[in-house]
Amino acid sequence: MNNENIEEILKDIGKEEIPADVHKIAQETSNNFSSSLKQVKQPKRIILLEQIMRSKMTKIAAAAVIFIAVLAGWPLLDKRGVALADVLAKIEQARVYMYRMKMTSTGNLIKGMPSEQEITVTVSNEYGTKWDTDITNPDNGETINQQTYVMPDSKIVISLMPKSKQYMRMELDDDWLARMKKQNNDPREMVKQIIKCEYTELGKSVIDGIEVEGFQTTDPACFGATAEEGTFTLWVDVQTWLPVRSETDFKMGEQASVHGVTYDYQWDIPIEASEFEPVIPEDFTAFVADGMKMPGMSEQAAIDGLRLFAEMSGRYPEKLSLVELAQEIAALSQDMENMKFLTDKLLKLKEELSQTQMSEEEIRRAVMKKSMEIMQPIQSPGWFHMMLVQDKKEPVYYGETVGPEDADSVLLRWKVSDNEYRVVFGDLSVGDFTAEELAKLEQQ
Amino acid sequence: MKQDERLEIFEKLRAEYSVFLLSVLWKLTGDRELFTEAMQYTLMGMWQHIEKLNSKKAGAYIYRIALSANSRAWRNRIGRNGQFARDRVDIDADPGEKLGRVELTAKVRKAISQLPDKQGRAIVMRYLQQHDYETISEKLRCSKASARSHVSKALAALKEKLATVA
Repeated sequence: MNNENIEEILKDIGKEEIPADVHKIAQETSNNFSSSLKQVKQPKRIILLEQIMRSKMTKIAAAAVIFIAVLAGWPLLDKRGVALADVLAKIEQARVYMYRMKMTSTGNLIKGMPSEQEITVTVSNEYGTKWDTDITNPDNGETINQQTYVMPDSKIVISLMPKSKQYMRMELDDDWLARMKKQNNDPREMVKQIIKCEYTELGKSVIDGIEVEGFQTTDPACFGATAEEGTFTLWVDVQTWLPVRSETDFKMGEQASVHGVTYDYQWDIPIEASEFEPVIPEDFTAFVADGMKMPGMSEQAAIDGLRLFAEMSGRYPEKLSLVELAQEIAALSQDMENMKFLTDKLLKLKEELSQTQMSEEEIRRAVMKKSMEIMQPIQSPGWFHMMLVQDKKEPVYYGETVGPEDADSVLLRWKVSDNEYRVVFGDLSVGDFTAEELAKLEQQ
Repeated sequence: MKQDERLEIFEKLRAEYSVFLLSVLWKLTGDRELFTEAMQYTLMGMWQHIEKLNSKKAGAYIYRIALSANSRAWRNRIGRNGQFARDRVDIDADPGEKLGRVELTAKVRKAISQLPDKQGRAIVMRYLQQHDYETISEKLRCSKASARSHVSKALAALKEKLATVA
């Protein structure tokens, strides 16, 4: 299509009459939104949530955020339960425990996310964490096993992939290590979540011959945004006050859902240190991403990621929530124009390596690794933002209205002390300001 | 800022920009579902950033919020079989030819939603709102030559994007 054709189409669009029913749709949409703002004096976030949830198209993103939030142990309202607090105290005493987890997703939540995973998790306060995961390929039903070891002392994660006879080592920095320690304590985080929300007691029941008592929450505050969409249920042994089973459900309209179950808990089981030390068989080869670091979670890493995103698209991501950022990156990557800077660099590297003695396979792996290294920082703004939220630093992000050309506008800010804020501007420069100074900056 | 004050500003802006939003968002989407979604995102964006909109720059911000809302609505459409609205095909015309034109128009709209911010605004102002370059340069706060350059670059970007989907 040439420029003349495009201009012709654009001019035609410009001349289009707006259908009468569209006037009506606009009026109704606008009035409904306005009415919802005035009906009740709710917190701003909840009103906005309702607007979001009225649109079926946005349910996936909203609920997916909650999904991640729950997995990440999102900080919630500080309202303590009674019996569940005792459960938490009991779990905190366990030094080693094991449980199984099954996650099933339907629909296309995030491209590439497997539809079924079964994981056996062993957590030792002393030695680290081991994940034994069976991932089912939805296309052919084939199951692939992967073993992952998180070793806090050596600050490394090692994954073994027996089917392909490959291994992958990833370094963890201190931030990641702290987060993973926290998030691997799943039962503890689960109970912490539920006791901070509105929950109902389901009464007694029997699971696998064990008398249990149930607790359930659908509290929007607990899930951060999705009032009707999320349900979390925890069943606790009435004798030991330890979890027996949990169920998590997120429905995202008709388009996607996630169902997670944890079960088969075993507490203070005997373990050997060697169980947490992976042995890489001699015939295993390194996966292409072997040796890479996890995406940075620091302020600088986030800024580098924002810069990369802007280089690719000419703008900043609209949202920094992990799932929404992942969706934006996925959409960005579908456009070859955005990926041009990457392909140019890789073609150059390939050309350089072709002049060496490297085999075609070695060149292919080197190019793949390079592409991963180049793209990796783009995730960091999401991780950094998550860290700020978890640490209750009240981050506010203006990616929807601030672009790279808005040098002096506040792009991201968070609280560093009672009256001090850290600000990242549109040109990605950084500064510290008082609340009063920040208010002036945000008025500009 | 107090809630009442926020509401007052929001209502004032909602009234002031209702015709603009109706016109621009419809021309950018050309599809009722996309339009409704883009409108909701725009209103949400305005409410979220209401304190920022209480300034002389409100128009520019709302422009940007609307374009960003449009991009978001289009992004949500990705993966939904890529179906475009066919309810606006003129049945008197040659069916094959008209359908092709409608799909082509939808592809142009989708490509606009993927343009960088300034290019997006420039193309909307020039063609969808039919502004002259003087008005565009005022709204974009740049020279007339720069305004022309933004439009020209946007056209080139559209051409390239459409070439890859053709």
